[in-house]
Amino acid sequence: MTGWFRSAVVLAASAAGLVAPAPLASQTPVDLSRERRDFAGWLRSASNSPFAAVAREPVGNGLSLGPSGSDIPLTGMEAHRIVQRGGLVTLESTTGLRPTPRGRPIRVGSYTLVVDGPADRGVLTVFGASRGGAAPQYFPYQRELAFEGGLRPPEHPGQVRILALDGNEVDASEAGSVEIPIDGAKVRLRVLRMPLGAGEESDLEIFFRDGTNGQETYPAGRFVSLLPLGGGRYRLDFNRARNPFCAYNSIYPCPAPWRGNTIPAPIRGGERYAGGGRSDPPDAGAQ
Amino acid sequence: MKWAALLALLALSGASRSPTPAGHWRAALDLASGELRFGLSIKPAGAGWRGELCNGSRCEPLSAVRFERDSVLLEMADYDAVIAAELRGGDSLAGEYRNVGSRGPRVIPFRSARGRWAASRAPAGLLGRWDATFLQDWGTSPRVFEMRNGKAGLEGTIISNTGDYGHFAGRVMGDSFAIAHFDGSFVYLLDGALHGDTLRGVFHAGLRTEIPWIAVRSTGRPHLKSPSEVTGADTTEPFHFEFPSLDGQTVTERDERFRGKVLLVDIFGSWCPTCHDAAPELIRLYRRYHDRGLEMVGLAYEVTGDTAIDGRLVRRFRDKFGIPFPLLLAGISDVESAAATLPQLHGFTAFPTTLLLGRDGKVRRVHAGFYGPATGAQHKLLMRQWQREIEALLAERPG
Repeated sequence: MTGWFRSAVVLAASAAGLVAPAPLASQTPVDLSRERRDFAGWLRSASNSPFAAVAREPVGNGLSLGPSGSDIPLTGMEAHRIVQRGGLVTLESTTGLRPTPRGRPIRVGSYTLVVDGPADRGVLTVFGASRGGAAPQYFPYQRELAFEGGLRPPEHPGQVRILALDGNEVDASEAGSVEIPIDGAKVRLRVLRMPLGAGEESDLEIFFRDGTNGQETYPAGRFVSLLPLGGGRYRLDFNRARNPFCAYNSIYPCPAPWRGNTIPAPIRGGERYAGGGRSDPPDAGAQ
Repeated sequence: MKWAALLALLALSGASRSPTPAGHWRAALDLASGELRFGLSIKPAGAGWRGELCNGSRCEPLSAVRFERDSVLLEMADYDAVIAAELRGGDSLAGEYRNVGSRGPRVIPFRSARGRWAASRAPAGLLGRWDATFLQDWGTSPRVFEMRNGKAGLEGTIISNTGDYGHFAGRVMGDSFAIAHFDGSFVYLLDGALHGDTLRGVFHAGLRTEIPWIAVRSTGRPHLKSPSEVTGADTTEPFHFEFPSLDGQTVTERDERFRGKVLLVDIFGSWCPTCHDAAPELIRLYRRYHDRGLEMVGLAYEVTGDTAIDGRLVRRFRDKFGIPFPLLLAGISDVESAAATLPQLHGFTAFPTTLLLGRDGKVRRVHAGFYGPATGAQHKLLMRQWQREIEALLAERPG
């Protein structure tokens, strides 16, 4: 079954004994509050938080780091050079070579370096002391912005290279689409499976734009994950919509909006734009 | 009357006793659409505590257990992960499992009650070897399931092209089952049901990933493609390595201790659960054949590239298993780095990868991945194969 219903409708129906009760206990606003608190703490204190990012550059033919005049000047850091050869990224200094595997933080003095991106297109992000930033702000929770249903299979299965929430290029796979009722109209949204580091983990995500972008929410659009409920059913809760990292810090590039994923109506749920990032969103329809 | 007074006294003394985390716990991680069950055991140890995390009958020590007031912290330092929970009324723990993620914290709700999960045995129709196919968005990929009844009820593992996912254990409800593996890093749950002669179900990874699968009884024909088929080595020249040991000395294949010996090179990482499975088996082989001329060396590819941190992790790995052969800090744990530091290998894809070198120092066998004890027959087959190969190489006279 791929039809999507508001969660509240499912609950009412279940009370009338028409359908099995929806397993919503783990996705209540209490859990959402905890998720938001965890994320705010991570933004505030994690060494790889966007609030602590001080520079970000494609490694390209190599980057010098450290003293003034370097490609990336970093106060207090001795001269280093980061180079990319045949997919392998290495940090060089007078003390020797240090491989820098993708996605793994490398400490150099008071800085943390992380190289991400595809093998031939590594991007270096440098993290320093957190500069702090406004805690994420959210719209009040609205139960009618939560939907449940199944995934419609992709018309054109395959992979696509796109920017993830954190501005890194990933090879995502077409996971299908969902069709939800908004303001009396059916809106179809494309869903991509985004890989999550090592192992088998991934997230089903939708990057969408809506009527609030530019005024109440971040202009580039927002991400929202599908939460599996079992039996091929998912919960799409716009109260969980998140800003891309470019909303927190302008050193991150903003993902190009996904073609077709525009909701004409305003979706007043999830994260608002608290200010901080300055990147201009790319042109709509670029992806 | 006397009995009543005694009971009242006992009740009072019990009520005044502080809650303690000591004991066995029925623990679970609440994934988005499934319950991943595992066991915990906590005991007093001196002034502190120690504990174990169990998948069925297979238990691993926690690196540290801290308890203060009603807060319990269970540390899994190998994977930089913790379970932080609140002891409620002395008989339940509630909190979360977490480690650092790149796009926000990786957090999964955790809960636990006192006691042990009941063992449930599977009917014969579920047991045995199954050729499975994972149905992913971009296509399909093969796996093999091994299912058997063990000490803790249904046990098993999942095997992919590059090795196994570790020991799984769980429960059976009629023709349905759910088995899980949680080691502090990997969060895996396999649930399914028998439909006629076909198994169907969902593989859960982490909080949200779901991969549907279908499986049929293994016919004995190969279903997986071993990475050993694509991992090769230069066999014309002696295999060269040169890396620092844990005490900072440079070790190479030219060192006296390796000269003229059959050498097993274990390319591993302390972060890799399959490498933890392989370590005790390598030690067994070492003890059995060392006097006859077998040497071993472990090349560690670690997480940070920081010698101090990586050295600490590898020392912990060495001490955990009592590894008697040298472990060298070879580099960082991505496949590209490992391949770059060992240019005589090509098509390197898997941790662990094991090389067998003849007495002339040339590579005679490359085995990518490892089938751990959880794979049962597959594991025994692999160990017999290694023994045969080691004995054949030991029998060769130096050229």
